[in-house]
Amino acid sequence: MTASQPPQHTSTPDPVFTPPGPPRSPTDRSLKQTERPHPLTPFVRGWLIFVAIAIGWGREIVTSASEDQLDAGGWAWILPILAVVVVLAAVTGFVAWYFTRFVIDDEELRIETGWIFKKSTKIPFERLQSVDIIQPLAARMFGLAELRLDAGNSSTKLRYLSRGKASKLRDYLLTRAHGQQASVNDLDQQAAASTFTDLGTTDQPLVQVSPQRLILSFLLSSEWLIPSAITIIIFVATAAAGVVPFALGALIPLIIGMLTLIWRRVIGMFNFTLAESHRGLRITRGLTNLTSQSVPINRIQGVKTSQSLLWKPLGWYRVDVDILGYGHGDSEDNESHASSVLLPVATVDEVELAIGRVLPGFDLDDIELHPSPKRARWVRWFDFWTLRYGWDERTLITEQGWFTHERDVVPHAKTQSVRIEQGPLQRLLRLADVHVHTPRGPVNAVAHQLDEHTARELALSQLDRARAARSAERQRRTLETLRTDDHQGEAELLAAFSTGRDQLLGAGGESEVFAIDHERVLRLYRSRHEAPRRTAAQLHALYQFWAGHDIGLELPMILEMGERNGRFFTVDRRLSGRNFSGWLQHADMAERRPALISFLDATEQLQQLPSPVPSFARLIGEGAPQQFSTLVELLSSMLQGPLQSSRTQLEHDLPGVAEVWNRLHGELAQRSIVPAIVHGDVCPPNAYLSQSPQGPVVTGIADFSPHTVHADPLMDVAGALIFLELEPYADAAADAAWLEAVAVERHGREIVRWIDVYRRFYGFYFSNAYAFDPHLYAWCLRQLGR
Amino acid sequence: MEELFAPPAYEWKRLSPKYRSMRQLTSLVIPPVLLTIPAVIVGVMSGRWWISGLIWAAAIVIVIVRLGFVTRSWRSWGYVERDDDLYITHGVMFRSLIAVPYGRMQLVEVESGPLERAFGLASVTLKTASPETGARIPGLTPEEATRLRDRLTELGEAHASGL
Repeated sequence: MTASQPPQHTSTPDPVFTPPGPPRSPTDRSLKQTERPHPLTPFVRGWLIFVAIAIGWGREIVTSASEDQLDAGGWAWILPILAVVVVLAAVTGFVAWYFTRFVIDDEELRIETGWIFKKSTKIPFERLQSVDIIQPLAARMFGLAELRLDAGNSSTKLRYLSRGKASKLRDYLLTRAHGQQASVNDLDQQAAASTFTDLGTTDQPLVQVSPQRLILSFLLSSEWLIPSAITIIIFVATAAAGVVPFALGALIPLIIGMLTLIWRRVIGMFNFTLAESHRGLRITRGLTNLTSQSVPINRIQGVKTSQSLLWKPLGWYRVDVDILGYGHGDSEDNESHASSVLLPVATVDEVELAIGRVLPGFDLDDIELHPSPKRARWVRWFDFWTLRYGWDERTLITEQGWFTHERDVVPHAKTQSVRIEQGPLQRLLRLADVHVHTPRGPVNAVAHQLDEHTARELALSQLDRARAARSAERQRRTLETLRTDDHQGEAELLAAFSTGRDQLLGAGGESEVFAIDHERVLRLYRSRHEAPRRTAAQLHALYQFWAGHDIGLELPMILEMGERNGRFFTVDRRLSGRNFSGWLQHADMAERRPALISFLDATEQLQQLPSPVPSFARLIGEGAPQQFSTLVELLSSMLQGPLQSSRTQLEHDLPGVAEVWNRLHGELAQRSIVPAIVHGDVCPPNAYLSQSPQGPVVTGIADFSPHTVHADPLMDVAGALIFLELEPYADAAADAAWLEAVAVERHGREIVRWIDVYRRFYGFYFSNAYAFDPHLYAWCLRQLGR
Repeated sequence: MEELFAPPAYEWKRLSPKYRSMRQLTSLVIPPVLLTIPAVIVGVMSGRWWISGLIWAAAIVIVIVRLGFVTRSWRSWGYVERDDDLYITHGVMFRSLIAVPYGRMQLVEVESGPLERAFGLASVTLKTASPETGARIPGLTPEEATRLRDRLTELGEAHASGL
């Protein structure tokens, strides 16, 4: 936060002599203008109290009226008391309003309250988890709205602001909460939202629930039908016996409960709209009180869809979500904004749409659901046929219920703990329940009445899946942070070389390459790269060393290196022709095959490059050239780094991995060759192709890197064949097989075995890709499993 | 049967025998004390002291049954610290096994009430973001409870992951 603040003046002018500047330009904090909420606030607050009193009083009069004693004079004494209460309320409201000040500007979000006990709340923008707008009826009549800010576990209210201002500030705060820069002033141009639904023009409604559907679905829901039926039965039974007054004790709470239900499910959900804005999902709802709530997707812990029996013919579902921190108190309370309802009633398509948004990338339809064993009917005779469970690598699903069918979906990464339970009857039947716990909320995933062995298997494997999902999530977050780091200062750097993102030629794990002109490219090292300067210097030396040797291939050359905005870059010679990988995707087979042969030729040409050292060695990296006396020592040293990070993952995904490893070692020890230069990553994205009289030919190889070694010349030949499988065009695998046959014809049958050995070597070497490239990692597993 | 609740490839750690003594004492004292009150009231009000006798007899039956269960209940408890998670099992009639990954622990509490203190016992409770977790291990010696708390806190930090 503080980093973004402009520098303080060294000599601050005395505030007394400084005219109050424009609302936001002052750099001195003491001069910052704070605002009060809307001046009508005390009236709205006082009005609420007045209404509460009026209702209470009205009820008194009505009850006494039934006793036939309505006498206005008898109630006159209450008026002064009422007046005092209203005045007190107004004064309190005024004081509260007068001493509330807030600042929301480009630098900070701060709210100060309190007269005697002052309280200043400063919320860092990035800590904001949701910003909601609530409009109670009274506030709505005056065009006012409350802003509710959630950060961590605390919720801060700012009331009341004019509606327009509230929604503008909400948009601004949500922008900042997403870590983007914006200025409060920019928001003035944005179109105002509609008063009735609080949907901005930029919001795209995903699901809108019509009043007819809402009311019909309510009348057909089990939650409404059960108390209604009970009420009617009690009423009819007692009426028949002529003892209705005796049943009032039971009837009144029931009726109150039903009214509350109407209030929550109909009035509170009226005009329910789930919309998508560029700031994520947003729900607006309410007939009297208008609530506009954002759905923090990264805090969603699980999803529940439920269907009342009578909804089935209509194909309706209700969707609830577990949102972290929303479970406190009543999750459906209208007054508290935090509602766990994602959709009060929706069709299958709408449900799929909404779930697709809150659990992006999850494929729930493909999950195979298993029923509980038949003997479960002795315990769950009322709904044993509805019990189901299933899982895939990302989620667990459980289903249960007949009168209200419920389906709970829990992403493995959100699993808190797992419990197996078994009662005495279940023990006789060899059944058990498995509970998968999620944070407080409506989702309650229980796989009921499983066979004992299945239950244990499910529970234990669920722990493994949860662990794997958690570590994947962690990796993803780290990468996300790195990615945002990478963009820092980037635009300026690109502009300095008059290039831009649209000029991106290629991106790898270590750097991104942008075209500057026909002669040069800008190579921007990723900010997580450990030692870009060393790598570039070593590459430069190596390219210099090779400069006098013409092997019939264009090789890269570093023209300039430097650091700017904290990012290291080099300017490299641009290889002529076009990228081989891009070309392959559109070329037809007749063109591809000769080009692939020239690609294979190129790997052989590379072997003619001289090496700065005679022995096996790593040519780039710490301590390079790092020499080894045998091939197996060199290759083990190369594998050490990647395996350190991927070992656990490999052991998990490939049970026989230790054996593969030992075999690889044994085989490599038998290999005896004279070392040659090995590029280490000769894949189509690193090759360049030009048109020659004989057709397209590979004319350049770029991107030497820490993979570059002085080792077995066959490594590049093998690499050219096996990395081809990773190319994203349809016949890549067929081409790779074909090219392998060509290579075998050239080098002899015995290389088949070594290609296989290097498949496994590269399978290990790139296995740390599990953290960032699942496609590459899957390829690695396939190589190791061969 | 037993294997449903067994920890994979580990031995359960059991509770302190003092916990059994404490439970025996409470089983012996609480039912007679609780039932004496209604017994006396019934006796005084109605004068039919034989009803009070029946109530006392019921109290004795409850005590016998409960004493019979105490050892089994005590023996049913077990916990084990695995590499990535803590397993707790308990229950005689209704058995349960809970596994809490260290990465999910938010809070580890050590509690010791007056009675527990008198017996030199303490309990450890693990809390996660889920209220259903309810992972509590009663009847530990204070040393074991402290060790467990420190160990779990340490493991929790090592495995910490956001929600």
